[in-house]
Amino acid sequence: MPDYMIELRDVTKRYGDLVANDNVTLQIRRGELMTLLGPSGCGKTTALRCITGHNIPDEGRVFIDGEDVTDVPTYKRELGMVFQSFALFPHMTVFGNVEFPLMIRRMNKAERREWVMDALRMIRMEEYEDHYPRQISGGQQQRVGLARALVYRPKVLLLDEPLSNLDAKLREEMRFEIRDLIDRLGITAVYVTHDQAEALALSDRVAVRNAGHIEQVGMPDEIYDLPQTRFVADFIGLSEFLAGTLSAVHTEERTATVAVDGLEIHVPATPEMAPGRKVLFFIRPNDIELLPASQESGINVFVGVVEKKTYLGDRSDYRVRVSEGLELRVQTDGKVRFEEGENVKVHLPIPHCRVIVE
Amino acid sequence: MLKRGSKARFILITLLLLSPGLLTFFLLFFYPMMVTLTRSLRPEGEQIGWTLEHYVTFLAEPRAREVILLTFVLSIGAVLCSVLLSIPLGLALRQKLRAHRFYRLTMITPRVVPGLIGALGLLLLFGSRGWVNLFLIRFVPFVNEPISINYTIPGLILFYTWLYFPFIALTTLAALEGLDPAIEEAADVAGANRWQVLRHVVIPLITPAILAGSVLTFMAAFGAFSIPLIAGGNHRPLSVEIYRQIDFTPARWSAASARAMIMAVLQVIFLTIYMRVLRRPIT
Repeated sequence: MPDYMIELRDVTKRYGDLVANDNVTLQIRRGELMTLLGPSGCGKTTALRCITGHNIPDEGRVFIDGEDVTDVPTYKRELGMVFQSFALFPHMTVFGNVEFPLMIRRMNKAERREWVMDALRMIRMEEYEDHYPRQISGGQQQRVGLARALVYRPKVLLLDEPLSNLDAKLREEMRFEIRDLIDRLGITAVYVTHDQAEALALSDRVAVRNAGHIEQVGMPDEIYDLPQTRFVADFIGLSEFLAGTLSAVHTEERTATVAVDGLEIHVPATPEMAPGRKVLFFIRPNDIELLPASQESGINVFVGVVEKKTYLGDRSDYRVRVSEGLELRVQTDGKVRFEEGENVKVHLPIPHCRVIVE
Repeated sequence: MLKRGSKARFILITLLLLSPGLLTFFLLFFYPMMVTLTRSLRPEGEQIGWTLEHYVTFLAEPRAREVILLTFVLSIGAVLCSVLLSIPLGLALRQKLRAHRFYRLTMITPRVVPGLIGALGLLLLFGSRGWVNLFLIRFVPFVNEPISINYTIPGLILFYTWLYFPFIALTTLAALEGLDPAIEEAADVAGANRWQVLRHVVIPLITPAILAGSVLTFMAAFGAFSIPLIAGGNHRPLSVEIYRQIDFTPARWSAASARAMIMAVLQVIFLTIYMRVLRRPIT
């Protein structure tokens, strides 16, 4: 049994001068939900289309279930796909849409009906079998899209920004519904999105893409906590980036100090650190603690003044000036309150301080 | 008071805005229609009196049924041929292949050439010593003598198709280009091969547009005149039949008008049936 359900091996796809996928290798394990995450134009859809066969790679091979499918036409690949625009057949009822893959496979009528109704029950749409796509809501249409993709039990489910055309509240509900369905069926799924929250909430693993290549592949918490490049740190959640120089490495404490604009910030040490190297220090605004000015000083505690405060409901966003040229963005939960102009202390907890050696 | 005044003004302005339309309707449609109707009911050459004889004599002729049938065969044949040709052409052109703009332009040329000139050109092209026959005799086995195309019904349908194809091709192409590519991809991923995608998805989705385009083309082809006049030979559809009545000396205006009324009624009947059919949802 092959190790991977889907494998892209050194796939390159060009559109004229634009390289949409530059020598991309990606392995998706059996039964996992892998998300391709990246801004628009990063080639994530191109990669998905190489899996479906709508794009033929210029170089490299595509494997599905251990079989080289690079030259196999789309309709023979046994895939299920869900589209951003839903792409239901407007001239067919809900039943007809879900029946389509079975009709094409020449399944007999009675059996077809059974399978379609099973699929419709799975998405709680069995009462809508006679409706046309235009008669049901966007969320319902996308659920029918899911049923159509899953009804013939394909090897792989592909989802191309399936929730982007739905409103925010529905998007969150459907997120759980999709995850739940995939868990129940144990199917391998590839999910393309530009929404990092969606990617983190849904995926077993995330591949963060940038301009034609993959920046980092990992589980959602790895991607969030240990981004390996500036792009990943920037794309996943808010980050404050500060350029600095490593001033010392303390082997015993397993920490290092970074000089950033006159401040000495302690960070966890990593093997490649050596004094004098230029580094990029970053920390997420919601990991920074804001303390009253009366708080005692200590490691990574700095004096500052609140320059600006924005109230965001469940949290507050502060701009705190720590030195002449340095302003930090801090987000706190609603319980801690400081006013503009107030003197405060800022604490950067060492475990949350990250450094990318450049 | 003010309110009433403004309302009167509103009506006046509405009437003013409507007047060009109403004027055109009465002068260019209603008036000629009424003149034709009246004329068809007068004895030939008279300004007074009523008679149905022009209708009765024409419809009683066995030729009448032939003429009407021929008119339908020609126009429906042209529409069908155009539809069948336009689908593969539309599928090819929407790929935006090299020089697709040039093909698009070429597609419309039959509408640029006056029908009269076009018909003469076609007669030369398909004549017994025209290029088509020379080519067939030279290169196709078992063709040893010219095939007669001119002055035959299939030949006429061919000429009609040449003239009316652009209308249908444009609507078909527009319909094909209006499809969401994701819908075809969805069918493709679901396991349908090219032919199945075409049959189960593309054709049903462009059918309403093709039907709408084809009814207009049918109406135009039903009244086609210059092509059958020049290239029809002994095959005369209604329009040529009407013209022949006027061609006599003295011109038989009443007989011509009666035939024109019959033609109009047939077209209205066809249109009504067509609208009925269209209103049903396509399954």
